[in-house]
Amino acid sequence: MIGKVVTTLAVIWLAATLAFFALHILPGDAIQGELLGSGASADEIAQRRAALGLDAPVLVQYENYLLGLLRGDLGVSLLNGQPVTEVIGEQLAPTVALAVTALLVATILGLGLGTLAALDIYGSRSARLVLDVALSAPIYWTGTLAIYIFAVRLNWLPSSGSTNLVLPAGVLGFSAAGGIGQVVRANVRETLAFDFVRTARAKGLSEARVIARHVLRASLLPAVTVIALQAGFLLGGVVITESLFIRPGIGRVLLNATLKQDYPVVQGIVVLGAVVYTLLNATADVAYRLLDPRV
Amino acid sequence: MRISPVVRVCLLVSLFVAISCSSRVQSAPSEQTFVAHHPIVYGLTLQPSTFDPQIGSSSELGIPLRSVYDTLVYRDPTTKQFVPGLATSWSISPDGLTYTFALRQGVKFHDGTPFNAQAVAANLDRITNPMNASQKAVFLLGPYTGYKIVDDYTIQLQLSAPYSPLLDSLSQVYLGIASPTALSQYSVERYQFHQVGTGPFEMLEYVPGDHLTIRRNFDYAWGPSFYTPSTPDSVDEITFKFYDTDESARATALENKDVDIVGELLPVDARSLTANSDVELLPTVIPGQPLQFMMNTKRFPTNTLAVRQALIYGTNRDAIIDAVFQRFSPVAWGPLSSATEFYSQDVVNSYAFDPQKAKSLLASAGYTDTNNDGYVDFGGANLEVNVITPNWGEIPEVVQLLQDQWRDIGIKLDIDPVPSATILNQHVQQGQYNLVAWYDFGLDPAFLNRYFLSNGASNWTGYSDANLDAELNQAAASTDDNARASLYNQVQRTIMEQALILPIRDYVNLNGSRSDLDGLSYDAYGWFPLLNNLKVKSS
Repeated sequence: MIGKVVTTLAVIWLAATLAFFALHILPGDAIQGELLGSGASADEIAQRRAALGLDAPVLVQYENYLLGLLRGDLGVSLLNGQPVTEVIGEQLAPTVALAVTALLVATILGLGLGTLAALDIYGSRSARLVLDVALSAPIYWTGTLAIYIFAVRLNWLPSSGSTNLVLPAGVLGFSAAGGIGQVVRANVRETLAFDFVRTARAKGLSEARVIARHVLRASLLPAVTVIALQAGFLLGGVVITESLFIRPGIGRVLLNATLKQDYPVVQGIVVLGAVVYTLLNATADVAYRLLDPRV
Repeated sequence: MRISPVVRVCLLVSLFVAISCSSRVQSAPSEQTFVAHHPIVYGLTLQPSTFDPQIGSSSELGIPLRSVYDTLVYRDPTTKQFVPGLATSWSISPDGLTYTFALRQGVKFHDGTPFNAQAVAANLDRITNPMNASQKAVFLLGPYTGYKIVDDYTIQLQLSAPYSPLLDSLSQVYLGIASPTALSQYSVERYQFHQVGTGPFEMLEYVPGDHLTIRRNFDYAWGPSFYTPSTPDSVDEITFKFYDTDESARATALENKDVDIVGELLPVDARSLTANSDVELLPTVIPGQPLQFMMNTKRFPTNTLAVRQALIYGTNRDAIIDAVFQRFSPVAWGPLSSATEFYSQDVVNSYAFDPQKAKSLLASAGYTDTNNDGYVDFGGANLEVNVITPNWGEIPEVVQLLQDQWRDIGIKLDIDPVPSATILNQHVQQGQYNLVAWYDFGLDPAFLNRYFLSNGASNWTGYSDANLDAELNQAAASTDDNARASLYNQVQRTIMEQALILPIRDYVNLNGSRSDLDGLSYDAYGWFPLLNNLKVKSS
């Protein structure tokens, strides 16, 4: 248990440190970017940077940043002075809604298609193909295609906005379903070869019942871990999905803050991502225990 | 009782769904507090880091906020003359150091606070307070030193040096006058969510990343001369949404009626929208600097006038505007776009495309193709120029075409791509460039000082000439329009005679709107719509 806590903290520290140094390797910062075209003189820009501590040596800035993190203080945006926790808080709800719905779509699609693909019945070959597409097609491609088909051509769904969850969650979920489906498929195939399956069939159970009662139950456990891993993948996917479908959320904030070199906001979101990711893994452990009476 | 694993998974999943649904309910605030007759959606193309005009520097913030605030003076969009706003009249002392404003009486902010000289003073205090780190407004004030309240409706602004752009600054949204009550009620970080002005629209709410909504102020009776009175057809509620990340999504949203107005359409999208009768295009020339290549007079080979002139003669601007900008932009001939104040016709058609002339200029400077490889040579090597190429504003596409066009006159072009203004600045500081692509916006050509004074902060041409310096400084200090016009005429001619820049095209904002809207037009600065005048067409 203590080991778990230490690992979790180490992961968060590593993410925070990587984010900090990756950003500071880049030349320039938000203040320079914003003031260069506004008529401010070089002296005035230097004063502004000094007031925000941006002229301090990188290691001093790093130390201040870590000390702030320990206090739960993510700092303030360089551009509007808003606390980073507040920026994140405002934008969390739509991102959570998107990620959770997408995870739901991914789980249902992944389990369904994965199982179908493992068998040798009508539709199995198609299921395999769809899973391969889901796994290999990037979100910006499937997303653009989905907008073109469902919003532009058929005009069924709006292509943008905060209220519409169907298209973005569908596209993001489809993409994540690829990974889940591949694992489910492998597990089901493996399980099908076990003796207890043959026993079940020998008992005269219908094939459907064999699959549902015996095979799926045994194949589900490893899928839980992979679903948790896909939730991590979703965190990255929301950045693209939110931008493509013009939804509010953390991903859009991250993209804008990165382009404007607003370090504290980017670092705050990266740390949040690390925390969520480790929490999800812990949740997967708990779910594993719930599902498997042996553990 | 033993619960089957499948049921447990279902329970877990439904828990997640419940959480996601409840968070969605929270994120949708109740908006149905009044009945809107003519609401529209306006697509913004950037998410400003703050919507507070006194603090931020973004142009985009002015699209909604220009109509929430009034300014002391306005500029007429057609004549570009200053007209009364919150100030009914003004006078400038003979030494140019004191501006006295007589303020309009009977004006109320949206929160009921009366407008007076104390309100103006509170705004000036806020803008100049170093703690508030204003990114643009404070710099617009130039050599401002302080104010003096003469009486409740008279205020004087004091300068340490004459500064003719002051009135122009005061007519910009960044110096819009906010309610002193609201300013004292909210911190400088929070005020952007609760902005209160005196303008034709009041701000309802701003949800970052999602929308900003403004509603017509029916008490508004103090607008500038070019604001039309509201009628039953007037648009009374505008929701601004963000189309910042995917540029081609703007045209899609317009076609699908997701938005009624959107700016910064891609040229190719605008071209295909011309076939759609439900959509109207309103390409608007933005005053300021055209897209141009500033030429480094300090580095070989652009240190030679003949080479600089050859580069301009060798550039087919029409072909560039056809291919990259889908013919939506006028050709630029000088350092000012055609919508800028004191723009001079004298430079029009100078250096019209003439590749033969370019070649003979190069030959006269001693550069000829000695080894028949297509490029002219110097000291046994091909003549090369390099271009610092920002990755925005279709500049990379323009540079690609330049590379082809200049190959025809025997000059090799090297591309130095830069992803941000900060990195562009770094490459410029290193000095190893021949040309740098750039454009910027502004109505008063005083911005030229920054680029063409010997000691200008962005003197990227490296050109230094006492006459040009004197003209630029006099023009920026003078308050006599005729004197300024003739000085800026000379400045524009000198810049082109010396071939300091290669102008390409006037910057054009490609706006599109649904055809059932009427009265869409933009202010003198080009970016900001006169939302007050927007109406729906009565069917």
